[in-house]
Amino acid sequence: MRRIRNKKNNLDEMQEQKLLHVERNGAWLAFWGLLAVMIVQLLIFGFEGTERLVGEWVVFMCLSIYIAVGSIRIGVWDRKLEANAKTNLLLSIVASFVSAMVLALVNYRTYQAVEAAVATFVMNVIVLFAVLFICLTCVTQIYKKRLAKLEQEEEE
Amino acid sequence: MKNLKMKFARIEQDISQIELANRIGVTRQTIGMIEAGDYNPSLKLCIAICKELGKTLDDLFWEVDSDEKDKK
Repeated sequence: MRRIRNKKNNLDEMQEQKLLHVERNGAWLAFWGLLAVMIVQLLIFGFEGTERLVGEWVVFMCLSIYIAVGSIRIGVWDRKLEANAKTNLLLSIVASFVSAMVLALVNYRTYQAVEAAVATFVMNVIVLFAVLFICLTCVTQIYKKRLAKLEQEEEE
Repeated sequence: MKNLKMKFARIEQDISQIELANRIGVTRQTIGMIEAGDYNPSLKLCIAICKELGKTLDDLFWEVDSDEKDKK
């Protein structure tokens, strides 16, 4: 039987770069697509639909952790954002607001009670903001330590 | 920016894009894109092209900007 898969790379450097670009776009499409799918499913089925999201959630978390750990390992934070308290504050506010809004809508979809939805929103904004800000601060510190280590290694 | 120096060096030696690509071990598309200025090759590939065309890196890949021209 003819071998289908060669050990040798069939691509030259230009094709390799183009393929990496396509794969990068695919990874981001998967990331945002999974997030959108989970939000839409929650909005459609309410909290009763959370069991259906286990698969998507596991893949989404694996993808997120892989990207975060991989970036920190090579000493990269972001193309445009800087790793500082101001960025962390801004990101925490935006992410907690959006997440709390989704949770409030899901709450309303499940229980049909405005007061409960508002309470969910307020509690989640506070809790999520605190958790996100603390997590981002810790990750920023880990990133800075890693970057310092890499810089030191390169100098040696 | 198009790499006309490379294109002329290749034509001078009567080598087609596909022939040059085969000799270096890349695709014709890659040679076409380098000549069209749509792809920046690695130093390794630049050296391979130079060796194949019998030119130096300066001959094919060095771009003289206006400041350097003025100094001369």
